[in-house]
Amino acid sequence: MSLAWLVLVAVGSPAVLFVILGAGSLVTRPMSERWTGTLAAGSMIVACGALTSALVVFGASGTGARLLSYGEWSTSHDGGIAIEFLVDRLSLGFAALSAAIAGIVAAFSNRYLHRESGYNRYFVLLAMFVTGMLLVAIAGNVEVLFIGWELVGLSSALLVAFFHERPSPVSSAIRVFSVYRISDAAMLAAAVMLRHVAGTDSLSLLFGGGRVASTIALGGTNATIIAILIIVAVAGKSALLPFSSWLPRAMEGPTPSSAVYYGSLSIHAGCFLLLRSAPLLEHAPAARLLAGALGAATAVFAAVTTRVQADVKSSLAYASLTQVGIIIVEIAIGWYRIAFLHLAGHACFRLLQFLSAPNVLHDLHGMENAIGDRPSSADGYLQPLMAYSMRRDLFLFSLERGFLESVIDRVVVDPFVRLARRLTRLDAWLCGAVLSLPTWTVEADEDRDD
Amino acid sequence: MTDPRPWLVALAALPALVIAASVLRLDVERLRRLAVAGAAAMLLTSLVVAGSAHLRAFAIRTSALTLTPGGEAIIRVDPLSSVLLPLAAGLWLLTVAVTPRAALDRGGLRRTALATLVTTASFLTESALVLLLLSIASVWTFLSAIADPAHRYQRRIVAAYLGASTLIFAVGVGLIIGPAAQGTTLEAAGLWLIVIAALMRKGIVPFHAWVPEVFDHGRLGPAILFSAPQLGAYMTVVLIVPRASPGMLRLIAILALVTAVYGAALALVQTSARRACGYLFMSQSALVMAGLDCTSVTALAGGLLVWLSAGLAFAGLARSVLVLEARRGRLDLTTYHGGYERTPVLAISFLTMGLACTGFPGTLGFVGQELLVNGAVDAFPVMGFAVVAASALTGLAVLRMYFSLFCGRSDRLTHSGLRFELTRREAWTFVALVIALVGFGVAPRPLVDSRFIASDDILRQRRLRAGGGNRIADLPRDIHDHQSTADLQSAVLSSARAPRTDQDP
Repeated sequence: MSLAWLVLVAVGSPAVLFVILGAGSLVTRPMSERWTGTLAAGSMIVACGALTSALVVFGASGTGARLLSYGEWSTSHDGGIAIEFLVDRLSLGFAALSAAIAGIVAAFSNRYLHRESGYNRYFVLLAMFVTGMLLVAIAGNVEVLFIGWELVGLSSALLVAFFHERPSPVSSAIRVFSVYRISDAAMLAAAVMLRHVAGTDSLSLLFGGGRVASTIALGGTNATIIAILIIVAVAGKSALLPFSSWLPRAMEGPTPSSAVYYGSLSIHAGCFLLLRSAPLLEHAPAARLLAGALGAATAVFAAVTTRVQADVKSSLAYASLTQVGIIIVEIAIGWYRIAFLHLAGHACFRLLQFLSAPNVLHDLHGMENAIGDRPSSADGYLQPLMAYSMRRDLFLFSLERGFLESVIDRVVVDPFVRLARRLTRLDAWLCGAVLSLPTWTVEADEDRDD
Repeated sequence: MTDPRPWLVALAALPALVIAASVLRLDVERLRRLAVAGAAAMLLTSLVVAGSAHLRAFAIRTSALTLTPGGEAIIRVDPLSSVLLPLAAGLWLLTVAVTPRAALDRGGLRRTALATLVTTASFLTESALVLLLLSIASVWTFLSAIADPAHRYQRRIVAAYLGASTLIFAVGVGLIIGPAAQGTTLEAAGLWLIVIAALMRKGIVPFHAWVPEVFDHGRLGPAILFSAPQLGAYMTVVLIVPRASPGMLRLIAILALVTAVYGAALALVQTSARRACGYLFMSQSALVMAGLDCTSVTALAGGLLVWLSAGLAFAGLARSVLVLEARRGRLDLTTYHGGYERTPVLAISFLTMGLACTGFPGTLGFVGQELLVNGAVDAFPVMGFAVVAASALTGLAVLRMYFSLFCGRSDRLTHSGLRFELTRREAWTFVALVIALVGFGVAPRPLVDSRFIASDDILRQRRLRAGGGNRIADLPRDIHDHQSTADLQSAVLSSARAPRTDQDP
C-alpha cells in the first residue's frame, strides 16, 4: 500500500468511527457497549498500524518531507479547500504516537465508563478528537490544520461538560471553550495573514524550512506577526500564560479524557504546532523570544502552583503544564529534537499518571505497606530560604492559581459584558425611540406567545 | 421533461393548494398534514429543478414592467434562483412540521403557504417592480400574522421599520426604472435608496435595532419565516450588485462586517434565548451581505453558500427554541435548564445547526465561510479578520445557548411531570435538516460549483452593465440564443472555466 493510502486509512479510520457512532446517537439508536468498544479499539488499531507502516515506508524511501495531495475537495474552482497532508518523520511520528495513546485510552475507557449514561457520547467525542489530532499532526495546508484544530477544541469542551447534569462542569466547559475560541481565532487570523501576504495557504511555507520562506519574502514584520498569532493560538491550546486558568477547570471531565487531552495529547498540540513552525520562528526572533518567555513563565508558575493543589488531577494538570512550558522553551532555543523527545516521553508518562490517578490512594497504601513507613517528601527544601510572609503570599498566590481567572474576568470579561449589555439596551431604546414609545412600558404588558 | 413550466406551475400550485384548502375550512390537523405533504412535494420538485441543467435555464421576458431598453425577466430560473427554491420549500416544510400545534391554526397554515408562495415568486424574478410588489406582500403577510392586539409592540416595530424600508424601496425602484435613468444622478439616487431599503430589511447597522426586538417580543414563528429566506439579500444580488459602484459595494460590505461582529458579540451576552437568536440572525445575515458585496467570484460564491447554510441552520436553530418554549415556557439563558437525556435529538440537532451557523468544519457553513475569507482576503483583508472574529464569537454564543438550554441540570429533578419528548414528525424533521447540513458540508462540491456559476453570472452582468449594456439582453450571443435549453448551462459553465480575473475590473 502506498504512503498516500496508508495516511488516508489512518485519518479515515477514526473519522468513520465518528460518523457511525454519531449517526447512532442522532437517531437515538446508539450501539451496544460491546460493539462500541470493539469498533473503537479496532479503529484505533487500524489508525496506529497504518501510521506505523507509513512511518516505515517513509523512512525506507529516504526522501525529505512530502506533500500528499488528494485534490480539491470543496470545489473545482479557485479558492476552494484542498485535502493535503504534509508528511515527514516528525508529523508521522506524532500522529502514530497520538493514535497509540488514543487506542490505550479507548481500551481503558471501555471499562472505566461501563454503564455510564454518556458512554456512547464519550466515544463519539473521542473519535472526533482523534480525527482532529491526526489532522493537526499531518495537515498540509491551513484549512486542514484548522479543521483538526476545531475538532480537538469542540470535543475537548464537550468532554469537559461530560457530566452535564451538574452546572459546574458545564460552566467550566464554557470557560475552556472561550479560550479555545481565542486560540482558533488567532490560528485563522494567521491563516488570513499568510494568504494575504504570501497568496497561499500551504503549510509547507511555514513548516518547510527557511529556504522556502525566504523565496517568497515571508520575512521581517510579516513573519513576526504571523508567528505571534501562532504563538497566541499555541498559548490558548496549551494553556500557557495568560490562558492557564482553564486547565484546572478542564479536569471536570472523566479521567480518561483528562488523560488523553490534558495529560498527553491536546495540551501538546500547541507544542507540536510551534515545533512545526520552527522555520518560521527562525525568521522572527522577536516572536521566538516571546515564545521562550511565555514558556519559561508558564513553567515557573505551574511548578509553584502544582504543589498546593488539593486534588490529584489538578496537581497533575499543573505538573503537565510545567513540562509544556519547558518544551516551549526548548523550541524557542532551537533544540528541536530534544523538544520532540521530551514531548513524546512526557505524553506517555503523564498518560500513565492520569490513568492511575483514581487509584492513587490505593497505590500509596500499597507503597506504605511495602516500605513499612510513609514515603519521604522532597518538598520543603526551599522553605528555610524564604521569609514566612513571602511563603504565605506565595502559597495564597498558588492556591488561587495566580488569580488569573479573576484578573481576566475583571480586565476582559466584565468590561465586554457591560459594554455589550449597554449596547443591547441602546438597541431597545433606539427601537422604542423610533416608535416614540418607551420600550419598558410595552414590555410590561406585552404577551410572549407562539 | 425539459420544459420547466410544468415544474414552476407545480411549485406555485402546492402552496396555493394549501391556501385553497384553508379557505375551504378543512380540519386543522388534516390541513396541517396536507401542508406537510405539500411542502415535502414542493421541496422535491424544487430539488429536481435545481438539479437539472435543462430546467434551470429559462426566462420569460417583458418590456411591459420597465422602461429600460431590452425589458426584464419577470420569471426566470437560473443558477442563482434554482438553488434558492429548495431553501424556500425547506423553510416551509420546517415550519409546518415542527411548529407547535397551538401556534399554528388554520390562518397560520394559510399564512405560511402564502409567505412561501411570495418568497418563491421573489426568487423567480429579476424585475424591480415585481420584487417591490412581492416585498409589499411579504411584509403584509408578516403583519397579518401578528395582527393580534397582544402583539401590538411587535406589529408597530415591523410596520415602522419594514414599512419604511418598503416605502424607500418603492421610491428607489421608481427612480431606477425610468428610460432616461441609466447612468444619471437619478439612477444613483434610486440605487442608494434601494441600498438603504435592503440594509433596513436585513437589519444591518445602523438600521438593525428592529431585529432583536421583533425576535424577542411577540411571535417568533412568523419572524423566522420572514427573516430566514433573506429577501433583502436577493434584492441586493439582483438590483444592487449589478448596478452599484465599487465604492458603494465597499461601504455596504464594511457595514455588513461591523454588523456581523456586533451581532455575534451581543448574542453572547443575551439573557433571553429569543433575543440571542435575533442577534445571531443579524450576524449571519450580515455575513451573507458582506460576501455579496465583494466583487470577487470566490467571495460572492461564499456569500451565496452562506446564504443557504445560514438560512437553513438559523431557521432550524430558532425553530428548536420554539419547540423548547412550547414545552418549558420562556427560555432564560441565565440559568441551566437541563433536558438533554429526554430530548437528545433536539439537543444534538441544536448544537449541529448552531455549529453550521458558526462555520464549523463538516457543516455547509464551513465551506461557505472559507470561500468568503479566501475570496476576499486579497482585495479586502479586513473581511477575513472580521469573519474570523464573528465566527469565534458566534461559536461561543451557540455553545453557551446549548449548555444553558440542554445541560446543567439533572433530568430526574426537572420537568418530571411534563411530556417532554419530541414527536416523531419533529424528530425526523430535525434529523433531516442535520443530515442536509452535514451531508452538504462533507460533500459540498456540486453545490459549491453551482454557486460559482451563479456568482460568475452575477459578476458578468455587472461587467456588462458597467460597459453600458443591459443584462441578459447583452449577454454573448451563444448564451442568449439558448435560454431555454441546456446550452445556456454549458455556455455558462464553459465561460466559468475560461481564464478570468478574479477581481471586478
